[in-house]
Amino acid sequence: MSSSADTARASGARLELRNLSKAFAGVRAVDRLSLDVPAGAFVSLLGPSGSGKTTTLNLIAGFLAADTGDILLDGRSVADVPPHKRNIGMVFQSYSLFPHMTVADNVGFPLRMRTRLSREAAGKRIAGMLELVQLSHLAARYPRQLSGGQQQRVAMARALVSYPRLLLMDEPLGALDKKLREQMQIEIKRIHRSVGTTVVYVTHDQAEALTMSDIVVVMHQSRIAQVGSPRALYESPANLFVADFLGDSNLLPGRIVETAGAQAIVELGNGQVVRVARGEVTLMAGQKTVVLVRPEDMRVGEPADGQDAVSGRIAEVSYHGDSYRLEVAVGADRLKVRVPRFSGTDLAPGQDVQVVWRPDAARLVPVDAAKEG
Amino acid sequence: MSVYAMQATTTARPAGLLARAGAVPALLLAPCLIWIFAFFLLPLGLMCWRSLASEGFSLAPYAVLFTSPLYVKVLLTTVKMASIATVCALLLAYPIAYTLTVTGGKVRGAILLFILIPYWVDIIVRSFSWLIMLGDNGLINKAFIGLGLVSEPLALLYNAFSVLVAMTQILLPITIVTLFGAMLRIDRTLMAAATIHGAGEWQAFRHVFFPLSLPGVYGAGLLAFILALGFYVTPALLGSPKETMIAQTIMVDASQLLDWPQASAAAAVLLLITTTIAAIYNRYFSLDRLWGGSEP
Repeated sequence: MSSSADTARASGARLELRNLSKAFAGVRAVDRLSLDVPAGAFVSLLGPSGSGKTTTLNLIAGFLAADTGDILLDGRSVADVPPHKRNIGMVFQSYSLFPHMTVADNVGFPLRMRTRLSREAAGKRIAGMLELVQLSHLAARYPRQLSGGQQQRVAMARALVSYPRLLLMDEPLGALDKKLREQMQIEIKRIHRSVGTTVVYVTHDQAEALTMSDIVVVMHQSRIAQVGSPRALYESPANLFVADFLGDSNLLPGRIVETAGAQAIVELGNGQVVRVARGEVTLMAGQKTVVLVRPEDMRVGEPADGQDAVSGRIAEVSYHGDSYRLEVAVGADRLKVRVPRFSGTDLAPGQDVQVVWRPDAARLVPVDAAKEG
Repeated sequence: MSVYAMQATTTARPAGLLARAGAVPALLLAPCLIWIFAFFLLPLGLMCWRSLASEGFSLAPYAVLFTSPLYVKVLLTTVKMASIATVCALLLAYPIAYTLTVTGGKVRGAILLFILIPYWVDIIVRSFSWLIMLGDNGLINKAFIGLGLVSEPLALLYNAFSVLVAMTQILLPITIVTLFGAMLRIDRTLMAAATIHGAGEWQAFRHVFFPLSLPGVYGAGLLAFILALGFYVTPALLGSPKETMIAQTIMVDASQLLDWPQASAAAAVLLLITTTIAAIYNRYFSLDRLWGGSEP
């Protein structure tokens, strides 16, 4: 607890996780996890259920004690600091608003517990927070009288009112419908910008993680699969799991024939040779690899200069409003291709087509890099 | 014992069951409803009728109840003893029920077993066992004298103390279980939310858990109080005439004085008091919640 919570405003803490492990009944839920989060960053922990992201969040909150490793806030270990003294705010999946308190009392709770603010000062702070989340008119209501989205905002206000160094969010939008979820994503980003605290955001929704975060931590089987900016993860996945988990992907196994400057020549399983941007991966001829091409980077038609193409037959066409999605059979494999809605009207299953892409849209994914991290 | 059983049945039946009934539910409920009518409502009606119409229609037995110093005193004693026993049971039950919510698995099972074993033992046996504990040559007095704490045996038996101790003990299991059920429905992440937002363990309990457990406390208290009003064996075995409760008076009226109208009137008044309390509770806290129904 800082002597004055006011000084903490607009200064999120730097969060470091050092070799953190936690097991439940012998099963590792978090396995030697290390992570640096710069002050004020918005970081998402993204992964399928059971990947350890919620356990990580609970370790940071202090609800669980780590078996090994350490957690540092601004360089200082909080291992021996109980949760209520860590000065962390948290938004829970089910919001967990106190049902017997009004909205204003819910928001004021951390102030009553953590600070010695006078009633006027606390009232002012609560009013300011409610204004930030645009709920000033509902201060006297009880949580059960609010919609899901409104409860979500109250939970945000409560988590932020004492100007915490760190804000933890555990799948906060999971219970909302799609429209509201997208609206709240923008809202949360706006609030994050205006308060400047460090945010650790747990989600299994990749769109949410990609649109909101400065840094995304993809978790898989209790470990970090990759850390990076949303763009880096999507465009240069470090391993097959990340390539497959994020977005739609075509993963074509092959073998490196030769490396030539910024490009590599890869022979695919069906004998076809394609060019691939090398990225930062060290390569050797003969090495096994996987080529990643995103469906939206492919099109059907004649290859233009310098483009790669494979021939196949359309197996399925489905209409998705903004686009058509095709499944094109190439030998035993199926390629997913997304074409804009205006150019997909003539396509039908059974047609022979060429699937075309630019070499720089193709990426090499290291095959056995999954054991890194 | 029949008064005791009847009271439990009336309060355990949430209102509105009949109102919603369609054909199939009505059919399914029929055996139960017939049973209740034939063996509960009908005798109850007859009892009330008897209290009013023994020798032509007359409110005389009721007049006696509220004017005779004996009945007024007994009614007051009954309410006083039941209130004290209820409060004691709640005070003892709350920490045990809370402990149950924070333990799990085998420990919880073991505690529940120790709560339920006495519950399965008959009230007469439980009341008798207090005779052994509290008598002049009982366990407690022997221990105290043996330790040299007192020279003469303490008067632990045949007074308000012994009646209240036994009543409290008999009420304890049902109070604990009712409280425990209510506490289990409190969302534990609310405690986590309180903790992460600055509340220490005690503060989280005081500001979040305790207020949310109050409906359960009122519910368990109500149940205990209604049961306590109808106690017969315990005050009869462990009390003096000063601790005479209404059920004992009804028994004397019916079986010794053969004054059935008077006994019926006293029973009707007891029933009226308990149903009124249950109705008031239901109005403000909704009985449904106690039996696992949805929030209002």
